[in-house]
Formats: sequence, C-alpha cells, structure tokens
Amino acid sequence: MDWALYLHYGPSLASGFLVTLLCWFAGGAVGIVLGFVVAVLARLPSPPLRWLLRGYVEAVRGTPFLVQLYLLYDGGPAIGLRLEATQTGIVALGIYGSAYFAEIFRGGFNAVPRGQVEAASSLGMTPPAIMRRIRLPVMLVAIVPALTNMMIILSKETVVLSIITVPELMYQMQSMAAETFATFETILAMALLYWLMVELVARLGRSVERRVTAFMTGVA
Amino acid sequence: MMSQPSLADQPMVQMRGMSKSFGHHAVLRDINLTVERSEVVCLIGPSGSGKSTLLRCINFLETYESGEVRVEGRLVGYTDGPHRRRMGGRALRDIRRGIGMVFQHFNLWPHMTALGNVAEALVRVRGLKQAEANQRALDMLTRVGLTDKANAYPSRLSGGQQQRVAIARSLAMEPRLMLFDEPTSALDPELVGEVLQVMRDLAAEGMTMMVVTHEMGFAASVADRVAFLDEGHIVEYGPPRQVLHESAEPRVRQFLQTYHERNSF
Amino acid sequence: MKWSVIFDALPYLLEAAGTTLWVSLLGMALGQVLGATICIGRVAGGRTLARFGALYVSFFRGVPLLVLLLLVYYLLPFIGIDVPPLVAAIGALGMSSAAYVSEIFRGALYAVPRGQAEAAAALGFPATAIWRRILLPQALRISLPALINELILLLKASSLISVVGVAELTRTGHSFAAATYRQMEIYLTVACIYLIMNLALAAMGGLVERRLARG
Repeated sequence: MDWALYLHYGPSLASGFLVTLLCWFAGGAVGIVLGFVVAVLARLPSPPLRWLLRGYVEAVRGTPFLVQLYLLYDGGPAIGLRLEATQTGIVALGIYGSAYFAEIFRGGFNAVPRGQVEAASSLGMTPPAIMRRIRLPVMLVAIVPALTNMMIILSKETVVLSIITVPELMYQMQSMAAETFATFETILAMALLYWLMVELVARLGRSVERRVTAFMTGVA
Repeated sequence: MMSQPSLADQPMVQMRGMSKSFGHHAVLRDINLTVERSEVVCLIGPSGSGKSTLLRCINFLETYESGEVRVEGRLVGYTDGPHRRRMGGRALRDIRRGIGMVFQHFNLWPHMTALGNVAEALVRVRGLKQAEANQRALDMLTRVGLTDKANAYPSRLSGGQQQRVAIARSLAMEPRLMLFDEPTSALDPELVGEVLQVMRDLAAEGMTMMVVTHEMGFAASVADRVAFLDEGHIVEYGPPRQVLHESAEPRVRQFLQTYHERNSF
Repeated sequence: MKWSVIFDALPYLLEAAGTTLWVSLLGMALGQVLGATICIGRVAGGRTLARFGALYVSFFRGVPLLVLLLLVYYLLPFIGIDVPPLVAAIGALGMSSAAYVSEIFRGALYAVPRGQAEAAAALGFPATAIWRRILLPQALRISLPALINELILLLKASSLISVVGVAELTRTGHSFAAATYRQMEIYLTVACIYLIMNLALAAMGGLVERRLARG
C-alpha cells in the first residue's frame, strides 16, 4: 500500500468528508423539521388529512431510498424540479428521514403520560403552553434514543448519494480507487473509515442519551 | 334581566340531575349534590361507582351529557342559555383557574424541579414574572413543609413529598375550591399521614374541598358531609356520623363492614 | 404522463421484481443462518467467540451496505475467487443482515423469561435440551415480527445491488428510464411495485403475529 498516494488525495477526501457532513446534517435537519410538522398535523381531527399523511409515511418507508433519489434527480426535471446533485441529495435525505422521524415523534407524543397533561389543563394552561412546556420536553427525552439511531442510519445513507454523483466521501474514494487502480485497498480503507465514524457517532449518541435522561431516572 | 344573587349566597358546587355515560355504559345517574363554601365533602364507595368521574366532571376533565354542574353559580362546560353549546376554551380555562385539582398519581412534571412545578402555572397562566412566581412558589412549598426540597426533581422525592408538591402547585393559584382524587391511594402507608395532615390544615383554614378517598378516618374526622356512591347513584349524603355509623342503607353498611371490622375509625 | 411507457416496461419490471424478491429471500436465508450462529456464539460461546461476534456485529452494522457491496465485489477477485456479481451481492446482503439478525435473536433470547430455563434445569434437563425445547422455540416466536421487518428492509436494501450489475428492479427501472426519457413514470411504477411487495409482506407479517399470539 502506497501511503504517499493517500496524501496526494488528501484535499479531495477532506472535501468529500465535508460534503458528507453537510448532507448528513442538512438532510437530518430537514427530516426532523418535516417529520415534526407531519406528526403535529396528524394530530388534527381531520380524517382526510390523517389519511394523506399516513399515505405519505407509508410510501416513503415502503420504497428504497435509491428509488426516491432517482425519482427526484432523474424524474424531477419532468415536473420542473432541476436541482444540483448535492441539493437533490439533501432534499431526498430530508424526505426519506421525515417519514421515520414522523413515526418517532408520533410515538413520542403517545408516550407523554396523560396525567401530566391533565394536571396542566386543570391549572388552566392554554394548549400552546401545554405543548411547549409539558409535551415537548417530556416527549423529547423519551425519543432521544430513537432520534440518535435514525441520525446514524441517515449518516450511512449518505453513501448512496454517490450514485447520483454527489461529491461526498464515497464518491471521492471511488474516484481515487479508479485513478490509482488500488481498488481493493482503497475500498477496504473506506470500509474501515466508515466503521470508525459510525462507531464514534454511536458512542457520542449514547453519551448524549445518558446525559439527557439522567434527571428523569434520578441518576446524578 | 333578573339580578344575580350575590356570590356569597351561592353554594360553591351545585349539581342537578347530572348524568354521564361512556358509550352505552351509564357511569353517573341523576346526580344531585350541593357543596357550600368552606365545606369539606368526602366521596366514598366501591371501585367503579363513579366517584372519580363525578369529581372530574366538576372541572370538566370529563364531559357530562345531561343536567347541570355549577361552580359558584357558573355553568361548567356548556354555555348558559336556551341552547346548550360546548363552552369555549378560554371560558373553561377561566373556570379552571379557580379550581385546584390533586391527582392520585401526583402528575408532577418530571423535567422541572419542585419549585419549577409550583411556579409554572403562576408564570404561564397568571402571567407573573419568573422571580415573583418563584417567591410565591417557595412560600407554598413552605406551607406544605418542603422548603428544603425546592430544587429537587420529582424523581428524587418520595411519594408523600411529591403529593405535597402537587398540593402546593394547586394552592399557588389561590383556588376557591380544591378537588382531591384519591390523593393517598398510591402512597406507602407510612407516607399517607403527612399528606392527610396538609389536607387537614387546609380544611381548618376554610378551604372548600371535595375528596374522593378510602381513608375513612379522615372522612370521619375532617368531613362536614360524606357522600356514598354506588353504581353511579348517590345512595346516602349527610354528616359523617349519619353515613358512616348510622346508615340504614344496606349497600352502605355492607361496604363499611370491612372498615368497621378492622377498626379503621 | 405517458402511460403507454409503463405498459411497455411492466413485464420487464415485474420480472426484475421477481429477481429482487428472490435475491432478498436468499440474502435473508444466509442472514438467518449466519445470524443465528453468531448469536449463539455470543451468548453461549467462550470469550474469544463472544468478542469476535461483537466485532462482527459492530463492523457489519457500522459499514454502509453500499460500501460492503463494493468490498465483497472487489475482495473475491483479489483473493482469487471468481464469482458472478449476483453471488457477491447475495453474500454482502446476507452478511450485513446477519449482524442485525443476531441482535434480534439475542434480544429475543433475553426476553424469554429466565424462570423457564431454571425450571427445566431444576427438573434435570441437559443444556442442549433446554436450548432446543425451551429457549430456541420461544426466542423464534418472539423474534418473528422483527424478522419479517428485516425482510422488508432487505427488500429495500437490495436496490443497491444494482451498482454491481445485477438486473434487479431498480437497475431495470433505471435502464428503462434512461432509454425512454420518461423517468418520472418509470420510477413511480418501480416505487409502486416495491410498495406493493412491502405492504404484502407487512400484511403477512401481521397475520403471522396474530396467529402466534393466539397459540
């Protein structure tokens, strides 16, 4: 293995890494916001709306991410959607994530103990205040593990973006592999690199979980 | 328009012909009940008799279908007038501000300290500034004997302490009526006393209270009147002596038999 | 929307869907066998076996499937084995799935009430019998919903093997879309086919769950 080779490709790999981070965080943010909106709207007493939202969630969760990506990137122009690869990637990750986040938020809302909401309403708190001060905080603590898990899943999905030529890490490494003909070594390095990154993120997620839920379980 | 009787003449709570069903199952049937100012009324009876449901109808945590529930003369849950419509959110919240409720499972908010729990409604509902709310909250916690636990989270408090914080939380809003839904049923026996003492003190200070409870000793010594519910009906309503010791109703005697045998009161 | 394109493409897409289903099932089978082995190794094996198992799970859950696919695809010729892309694809799918399946089994084993194995031991059952008659059957029943979910995930994941040249549903759709320039129609159709397959699997899963709940 030629280490000098890796040094030469340093800048492009670094840029790829940054693009991966961008797509991951931006896509995650879009997904969380969109998913939250869907979850909140689904609580409105309107059967047709709930039906529509349910259909959206089922459709996104029942189809492969790659197909959704192709749909947006190759199919988008047909309905006037002409985004760059990276932008498409972020939107696609956001939509994909939103369906899963919506389900997570749904579970979170259901997990808020009824009694705590009743206590708030019997004190005369308005529904927006109850949502802001009681529902959201209690719910957020309950869903932190699910949220971090989904963010980890999204981080792994960023590699699929390379298929539509988004210049993220895998794309850069594949270019490097093709140009250097050291294909296997490069791919092995890529596998180990992703393994390391995901393991780190998972550990970070677990420590965040522990800190956030500490006061709820009475652990100092 | 007819002149309204002055507030002082009104009974605190008045129920007339109130009925409630869950689907086809009738839970409360033709309830007639009056609670005067500063009275302490205890609701007793077997499980499923509708005691908690009755209490929860007073602040409309449960809806009712027919009859009237009035608090200080004001109709609860529906608009007063020839056509009955559901009361708007703002009006309902207005009524609820004058009523305090204490729940069997405390329902403290786990992500706020004891002080935070008590101060929260003062800030969100009364509109107080946080500093002033915190001061009032601290006074309330002192009143229930928990000054040193102000900064503790509910998960670190015993059941009895949590319930006392819950009482302080309701008291902070200066309600004119307090509803207690089996306040000691979820507590270890040794913690029951501290909560009952707080409730006794409240009664002595003249608070109007309605308490659903199995603590017959409390009912015997603190209540002005006791109501016995069975299968949605008020079977007997009167002073503690009458209901607990001298009742002629067979269902009442049967229910109280085990308490008498164990010499509970 | 040009609907006629869909009708032309449909037979090919459906055939490719069959390949997708087939590949997923094979991958699932491999994943089950491998996953069960790893699980048993982690739970009942010695320290080295347990460590290897944990490492395996960490690696195959941490590395994205696409990277894994390429790894397997390039690894085999590198060490001298020459296999068609399909085999490499199924191998990658299976090995990846095994990591998740072993965790599913592990969770299910711990969910079997401890007292049952203890009661059997107190009656004098040998260890193998306790496993065979008490633990494994119940663990299997507990893990069935999660396993069906895993199959659904595999079905979706199989779309990635298109990059190594396997003519499954996504690749076939992609070829058609590129050739006809009616990408929107083709991809919507492809999405619908996946959706129907997954909904059917989910429905079957629900049926199985209800049947087991009664037994």
